[in-house]
Amino acid sequence: MSSSKLILSIVVILVILVGAGLYLYYQGFPGMGGGKKIKVAVLFDVGGRGDLSFNDMAYLGAERAEKELNVEVEYMTPKSLEDMIPLLKQLSESGEYDLLVLVGFLWTGPLNATADQYPNQKFALIDSTTGVVRPNEADILFREQECAALIGIIASGMAYELGGSTIGAVAGMDIPPLWKFHIGYLFGVKYFELKTGKPVNFLWQYTGTFTDTQVGYSTATQLLQQGAKVLYGLAGLTHVGMFNAIIDWNKQGKGKALAIGQDASQEWYAPEYIPVSGAKRVDVAVYHAIEMVVKNTWKGGIITLGLKEEGVGIWDEDGVKSFAELAYETKQLKDHTPDDVVSIVKQMRSKYIKGYVWDLVHELEQKIKNGEIAFKTPLTHDEYDQIIQQLMQGNLDAALEKGSIAS
Amino acid sequence: MSKGSLSKLIETLSERLLTERREYLATLIETSSSLILALLAGGIVLAVLGYDPLNVYNILFRYGFGNIRYLLDKSTPLMMTGLAFAIPLIAGLFNIGGESQLYIGAFIALLAAYYTHSHVIGILAGTIAGGLLGAFIGILRVYRGINEVISSIMVNWIFFYLIIYLISGVYYNPERPHESIPIPKDARIYPISNISVIFAIAVLASILYYIILFHTDIGYKMRVTGLSTASAKYAGFNPDLSMIYSMLLGGAAAGLGGALLVLGMTYSIDDMLSAVYGLGFTGIGIGLLGRLHPIGIILASIFFSGLLIGGQWVELKTGAPPELADTLIGVIVIALAIPYVYKLLVSRLIQRRVIE
Repeated sequence: MSSSKLILSIVVILVILVGAGLYLYYQGFPGMGGGKKIKVAVLFDVGGRGDLSFNDMAYLGAERAEKELNVEVEYMTPKSLEDMIPLLKQLSESGEYDLLVLVGFLWTGPLNATADQYPNQKFALIDSTTGVVRPNEADILFREQECAALIGIIASGMAYELGGSTIGAVAGMDIPPLWKFHIGYLFGVKYFELKTGKPVNFLWQYTGTFTDTQVGYSTATQLLQQGAKVLYGLAGLTHVGMFNAIIDWNKQGKGKALAIGQDASQEWYAPEYIPVSGAKRVDVAVYHAIEMVVKNTWKGGIITLGLKEEGVGIWDEDGVKSFAELAYETKQLKDHTPDDVVSIVKQMRSKYIKGYVWDLVHELEQKIKNGEIAFKTPLTHDEYDQIIQQLMQGNLDAALEKGSIAS
Repeated sequence: MSKGSLSKLIETLSERLLTERREYLATLIETSSSLILALLAGGIVLAVLGYDPLNVYNILFRYGFGNIRYLLDKSTPLMMTGLAFAIPLIAGLFNIGGESQLYIGAFIALLAAYYTHSHVIGILAGTIAGGLLGAFIGILRVYRGINEVISSIMVNWIFFYLIIYLISGVYYNPERPHESIPIPKDARIYPISNISVIFAIAVLASILYYIILFHTDIGYKMRVTGLSTASAKYAGFNPDLSMIYSMLLGGAAAGLGGALLVLGMTYSIDDMLSAVYGLGFTGIGIGLLGRLHPIGIILASIFFSGLLIGGQWVELKTGAPPELADTLIGVIVIALAIPYVYKLLVSRLIQRRVIE
C-alpha cells in the first residue's frame, strides 16, 4: 500500500469521525446533571463480572446498597493494570462520585499512587491495604481466621462421620492472607480435639498458585492418598482442581471424601461433595463502605470485618441459593436447578455435620462475636511459623491476641 | 529527446495518473463505507439491546479521546506491538509472538532498571531482549523450517508462565506479594509538563522504522523478500537474512513497548501479568488497521486506544456490560481492516503456495 493511499484512508476516517463528533456534540453531554443523590462508582478487578466470586459479590453488595440506602451506583471494569491510575485520576477529578469502591488487590498500587492527590475523593479498597493511613481512604480487610476456625471444627467433625480422622487444605501461595487461614483452620481443628478428645491429623499444602487447576488436582490427590477425608480449598481457581479431584475420587470408588469451598458459596459446583463453604463477604464490605458515606460515619484507615460484622462466616441456605442462581443464569450450573442444590446441600449437611459439631461451632462463634477472644495476625513469616508450631503442640492461646481457651 | 518519445512519456504518465485516480477513488469508497457500515451495524446491535446508539457513541468517542495524556500513554505499547506484527509481515512472516516479545521486554527492562537505576539501560535492555526473542523465532523459521506462527504461539506460553514464575517466586515485592519489585523512582519515565514522554519515544521509534523500511538497503530487501522471495534471490540478496532482520526489528519494537510500559506507566508487573497480557494480540489488529505502515500504525494505535478507553466509560455511564463495548470496538476495527486484510492474505497466500 502506498503512503498516499494510507493518508487518504486516514483523512476519510477523520472526516467521518469529526463529523459524527460535531453532530453528537450538539446533542449535549451524556450523564450530566441529575439530583443530589449520593453517587458511587464500583471499579472491578481486571477480570470483571462473571467470576461467581469477588466481582460478582461486589456487585451484589452494591445492588443491595442501591436499594436499601437509596444511592446511585455505576460500574466499571478496567481493561488492564495500566488503565487503573489514569481512570482513578479522571474519576477523582470529575468530582462526580462521592465514593470510589475498588475491588481487589490489583488496585493497591494504583490507589497508593493517586490517593494523596485527591484529598476530597473518598476511596474504599476491598480486601487489600496500601499500608498507609489516609483520611480519604478506607481499606476493608477480613478477619479470615474467624471463619477458618469454624471450618476447622466442621471439617474435623465431617472426617469422623466419613470414618477417618485426617483433614487437609489445598492452599495457594505462601502469603499473609493465607497465613491467617492456616492459623484459623488449625485453631479450629485443635479446638475440636480439645473439646471432644478425638485426635485429628492435619495436612496443609501450599501449591504456589491461585490459577492452576492442574496443580490443584494433583495436590488434592496426594492429600487424599495420605488419608485425608475432608479438604478445604484456599487457592482460588487452583482449588477448582481440588474439587475435581474429590469428585473423581468418590466416583472412582477410591473412598469417600468431601470438599469445602471458600470466599463465595461454591456448593453449587458439586453439591453432593461440597456440603459447605467458608464465606468472605465482599458484598458486605462494599455495602459497609457505601453505608459509611451515606450515614456520615466515614473513617479512613484499616477496617476489619469478622463474624460479628458478618464479613466472614459460613454460607447459609440463602447464600448457597443466590450463588446457585448466579451460576444457573450464567449456564455454569447445568445438572441441577438452584433449588436442587439447596436441598442436596441441606441433606449433606444434616448427614455429615452432627449436632455436637454445630454446638462447638456456635460456642466458638459466640466467643469470637462477644469479643471474648481475638486472633493474632502475624506480620512476619517467623511469627507465623511460631504460631503454627505452638498450635500443633496444642497451645491454642498462641493464636490469640486477646482472651484464652481454657479447657 | 525526440517529439515521439516525449508524447509517449506524457501518454504513459497520464495513463498512470488515471489508473491511480481510480485506485484513490476505490480506497476512498472502501474506507468510508467500511466505517459507516461499522457504525451502523454497531448502532443496530445497540438499539436491539435497548441502548441509545447515539448516547453510546457519544460516550465512546468523547471519553475515549477526551483525556489526551491517558490516550497517548495507552497507545504507546500498542503502537509498538503493532509494528512488531507489521514489520515481519512486510518481509512475509506472521509474527504472532508480539505478546511474548513484549513480556520479555517489560520484564528485562524492569530488572535492568531495578539494578542500575537507569531508564536508558532499562529501555535498551528491554528492546534487545525483545529483538533477540523475535530473531530466535525467525532463525527457527529460516534454518529449521518451523512455521513461525506455531513456534511463536508456543514461545508466548512458555514466557507467560516463566515470567509469572519469576515474578511470584523470585522477584516479588515483599510489601505487596502480588506485584514484582518496583521500578525505582529515579528510573521512572515521567511526563514533561503533561507531554507523554513514552509516547514521544514510541513515535520516534516508528519514524525510525519508517526510515529503515523505505529509505535503507535493509528495508528495501525486506520489502522485496515479502513480495517475492524468488525475486529477492534473483536480485542477489539473501531473503533468509531479511526475514531474520524483520523478526529482530519486530521483536525489538515489542520489547521497547514492554519497556516503555513498565518504565512509564505501571512501574511494576503483577503476578497474573494483567499489566501486559493481550497487548501483543491487540497489536495484530493495530498493524492491520495501520495498513502495515509505521506512520499508519501510529494513528491506528491512537484510534484503537481511544476506543478501548471509551469502552470502559460506556460501561460506567450506560450500565452496558463491558463485552458490549468490546464487541462494538471489534466491529469497527474489523470493518476497517477487512478489505485490506483480504487483499493481503490473498496475495501472501498465493505467494507462499508458489514457493512451497
